[in-house]
Amino acid sequence: MDTEASGENGSLVLIKQGAEARVFESTFAGRKSIVKERFSKKYRHPTLDSKLTLKRLNAEARCMTKARRLGVSTPVLYAVDPVTHTLTFEYIEGPAIKDIFLEFGSKGVVDEKMDDIALQIGDTIGKLHDGGVIHGDLTTSNMLWRSGSNQLVLIDFGLSFVSTLPEDKAVDLYVLERALLSMHSSCGNVMDKILAAYRKSSKQWSATFNKLGQVRLRGRKRTMIG
Amino acid sequence: MKVYELSGTTLSVALFTDVANSKELLELMQAGTLEPEVALLNASLIPDIFPVLAAAHKTLVAKSRDSLTTRTLHSELVYNYSGSKHISESLKRCGISDSTTYILVARFGALEEEMTAMKTLIKGKEIDLEELEGKANKPQIQKHYKITGVELGISTLGDAITCRIAARDAL
Repeated sequence: MDTEASGENGSLVLIKQGAEARVFESTFAGRKSIVKERFSKKYRHPTLDSKLTLKRLNAEARCMTKARRLGVSTPVLYAVDPVTHTLTFEYIEGPAIKDIFLEFGSKGVVDEKMDDIALQIGDTIGKLHDGGVIHGDLTTSNMLWRSGSNQLVLIDFGLSFVSTLPEDKAVDLYVLERALLSMHSSCGNVMDKILAAYRKSSKQWSATFNKLGQVRLRGRKRTMIG
Repeated sequence: MKVYELSGTTLSVALFTDVANSKELLELMQAGTLEPEVALLNASLIPDIFPVLAAAHKTLVAKSRDSLTTRTLHSELVYNYSGSKHISESLKRCGISDSTTYILVARFGALEEEMTAMKTLIKGKEIDLEELEGKANKPQIQKHYKITGVELGISTLGDAITCRIAARDAL
């Protein structure tokens, strides 16, 4: 009889603290994992707070697994705990796209790799949008590059929601465009490459691109007049 | 057989093929007189041990909060593995039937003599857990868990099942 040691949740090592959640590194049934804990906000009414936290926890789990069903690579979900407000999922080995692009910015762009990344970003978002999932926070730090297989992995579905409106899709793309402009302007025009790939991947690209033009003129927020 | 450490306890797992007495096992289990109490899973729905461990983890968490959905700890494991909320349907599909010959046996916190007793209870041939992948019924798994070819482009069958087990209560 052989025993497989796994050190189940033996150690939680804090790796990031944000406004909504803490992120820990741990192990789950023998696999390296990430634990994301949504903490309560003391300034909110307790009833409202637990409702909101739970709603967002479930929405994140749903969108993450829905994305996988659409053929978009996201971390494998291991566990959802509504009592401790935690999600446990796969630890992805590999750098964030942000760090790759920053390196391109300082050491020069590797064209082949850049094309591959841009193609996968556009293709991935196209699949996600056609399936009705809006990521909500498309930035290069929420995209990882899996070591070995060189596959784009989308993370952090904390702001994701389901919608088929071209408006929501356009804003999703616009957020990415702004993020690329402000962080990675020295990498050349990545967004054009991403949009070209998106156009090939999404059947509804035309309506989305029309809206994107309008969103560019007015910004992310809609003006609510009248 | 293999023992996995999980949340401070253990899960002992053994895989059997050519089981001849599943009818008897099922009757014992339904009468609640199966000694020792074990979980009997339809192994053709298990391509990898990891989703079983994920279901086991979920089971232990529910147990620690006294919030089991089913009657026993081990039936809860079968129910959780199904990734569905229909209890009787889950037990039917992921548990064993009269004619099941390929079975995965699991017990939480098992003593060595309990596992020995369990092995004499099951009239079948014990095989290595490595065989799970090759012997899994992939079309049946895809149908039961509603896994499409698109998803398998980015995921293994085991990981797809794990996601469904984990996300069940969030849906």
